[in-house]
Amino acid sequence: MFNKRTIAIIKRELREKLFSKTFILMTLLIPIFMIFALGSGTIVNSLGGNTKFNIEIISQSPQLTSAIKSAFAENNDIKEGNLKVSFSTKSKPEFNSFLGSSREKLLKENLTGIIFIPDSSLQDKEIEYYSKNPNNSSLFNKLRQPINKALIDLYFQGQNLTGNQINFARKNVDINGYKVSSDKQIQKAGYGNMIASFLFTFLLYFSLLYIGAMVMRSVVQEKINRIVEILLSSASSTELMIGKILGNSITGVIQMFIWLLPLMLLISTSWFVLPDELTLSLTMGNILFVLFYFFIGLITFLGLFASVGAIFDNDQDAQSGIWPIMILIMIPFFIAISLTNNPENTIATVASMFPFASIIVMPARIAITDVPLIQILISVIVSIATMSSIFPIAGKIYKVGILMTGKKPKWSEVIKWLKYN
Amino acid sequence: MNALEVHNLVKTFGSVRAVDDVSFSVPEGSVFGLIGRNGAGKTTTIRMMMNIYIPETGEVVLRGSKIGQEFRDKVGYLPEERGLYKKMKVMETLLFFAELKGKTGREVERKANEYIKRFQLSDRKNSKIEDLSKGNQQKIQFITTILHDPEFIILDEPFSGLDPINTDLLREIIVELKSKGKVIIFSTHLMDFAEKMCDQIAMIDHGKIILNGELKEIKKKHAKNNISLSHSGDVSFLNKYDFIEKVEDFGNQTGIRVKEASQIQQVLKLLVENNITVNKFNANEISLHEIFVELAGNNSSNMKAEA
Repeated sequence: MFNKRTIAIIKRELREKLFSKTFILMTLLIPIFMIFALGSGTIVNSLGGNTKFNIEIISQSPQLTSAIKSAFAENNDIKEGNLKVSFSTKSKPEFNSFLGSSREKLLKENLTGIIFIPDSSLQDKEIEYYSKNPNNSSLFNKLRQPINKALIDLYFQGQNLTGNQINFARKNVDINGYKVSSDKQIQKAGYGNMIASFLFTFLLYFSLLYIGAMVMRSVVQEKINRIVEILLSSASSTELMIGKILGNSITGVIQMFIWLLPLMLLISTSWFVLPDELTLSLTMGNILFVLFYFFIGLITFLGLFASVGAIFDNDQDAQSGIWPIMILIMIPFFIAISLTNNPENTIATVASMFPFASIIVMPARIAITDVPLIQILISVIVSIATMSSIFPIAGKIYKVGILMTGKKPKWSEVIKWLKYN
Repeated sequence: MNALEVHNLVKTFGSVRAVDDVSFSVPEGSVFGLIGRNGAGKTTTIRMMMNIYIPETGEVVLRGSKIGQEFRDKVGYLPEERGLYKKMKVMETLLFFAELKGKTGREVERKANEYIKRFQLSDRKNSKIEDLSKGNQQKIQFITTILHDPEFIILDEPFSGLDPINTDLLREIIVELKSKGKVIIFSTHLMDFAEKMCDQIAMIDHGKIILNGELKEIKKKHAKNNISLSHSGDVSFLNKYDFIEKVEDFGNQTGIRVKEASQIQQVLKLLVENNITVNKFNANEISLHEIFVELAGNNSSNMKAEA
């Protein structure tokens, strides 16, 4: 099966794919796109934060007003002009009539909102916010802290507390995550591993689909061009398929290697320093595992993509025929994404040892939590078994399909092909 | 000694029996023609010989053993529907297909250059296939068929789509390959070519072999009562004579069949008596075309149009 003909085909595939402009472009563009995708969240957030707010804060008593005023005195947003706040004191009925007369302003958004701080807030910290859009977390984040500070200061006033005690009362609870792993050392965890998990998931998903579609198209092309007939006069259909799939799998792994290179440098060198929130606990072994799984995944899925390409004799039909494979890739993708919410969810644990799904879910799990060795072993065995059993089936479909032209075959007919020899 | 033997091949597509119990043998060193009209089963037969289609029954035997990879390595195949990788360059293409046959290195490259020169493609050596004209693509395709110096050359409708100059070039190369002792098998619906080039033929119609053997013998056998006539003037009057079985006008030539060989001289006499100018009178001569028409019968008209 693996001989000079297979090698000739592998070489041709490598030459065609590895040195193509598309490949080079993709290899470079994907990391840029990833950085952009990850960065865009922050960018959008900061854009939202830059909207100018115009707020009227009305307190029920003069003490409150002065406390609030002093709490906002050193506020950065006000200094930078992102936030404009005016303060006044009004009784409840006065406030109500003021609100009525300000309705026009609020609707036209000349005034972003009005905050009413009643005296009762000194007991329950409940204040009121009136606005056209009353759920503005970006604004609340700016207001919450100074108002809280004012209320606390006022509450503890005259109770003879030290500054430290008041500071303690002001401070929110901060939850620091520590990752416990089989390593002796317990590390303070950052988002790093979550991002790595997401990265693996996304890259595997994207790459399987992309290379899969590429293989499928090239099979369809060979069929349309009738090159396949010349190829088959020199090599068997099995050799042809093995050559094609290995050629593309090698291309894929090289691409993935390049994509993961920054991560590898990050782990193995001290060239880059990550901020604390992004601390990453990954080993070189983890990365090699991802590459190994990707290779197995490619052989498994490319076999399927190639056989779908062989079933149809034009791109459109083939595109509409890949849904069974899409499902096999999409579902694990979503399961792997769900890991970032809860790394221990049972579905993901099962999926990481389930045929097809294991390919995408296990690398994501490994990045985010400490997976027991036994589960990794089961997953590897399942993945290799899936690959070994799917390949001959795909090969049979490929063998029959590759010479079929004309009418689009039904799925039931394709199943019949499996019985041919 | 037969190089290749085809035994009882059968292949059906749905309810159509495309190849129906086809057997023939190809002697060493011969040029073998598989002839028949379009859709007769030529390509399907060839694909089974190439191991591309698996026959339902029957087998193809190469020098005593069933064909397999050994045959694939020894054969050069030019399919009816031509195809190359459009994005590959000329030289890359040639070397790739040779490598598939297990031939690599300097020698192949040297030969590739030789053929490129001979086919007047030297200036296109580094062009992509998609940038070549259709005729040039066909030349490349043909070079890929013979570059690895195969013992067997199987050409499915090699002359279709070729201009006269390339047709001659191809014919020249086939003759040359024959002189090197290669076995050449080609299919065609062009009787004329088959007649000029083949030593052996198998005629296939509706999936069945209707004639098979050495061309010379076949012609001898069928020519007995036949006259091939080149003339000017109307010879339709011959139809009224009982001893004349058939008069068939092929344009430049007329085929006349009599009931007994002894009656041939009588025909010549009649022609002279009726003031027909005889340019050429060939007794015991029959064209492959006529034989085909005789055997395949009524459907001769479309055959003639194609020829």
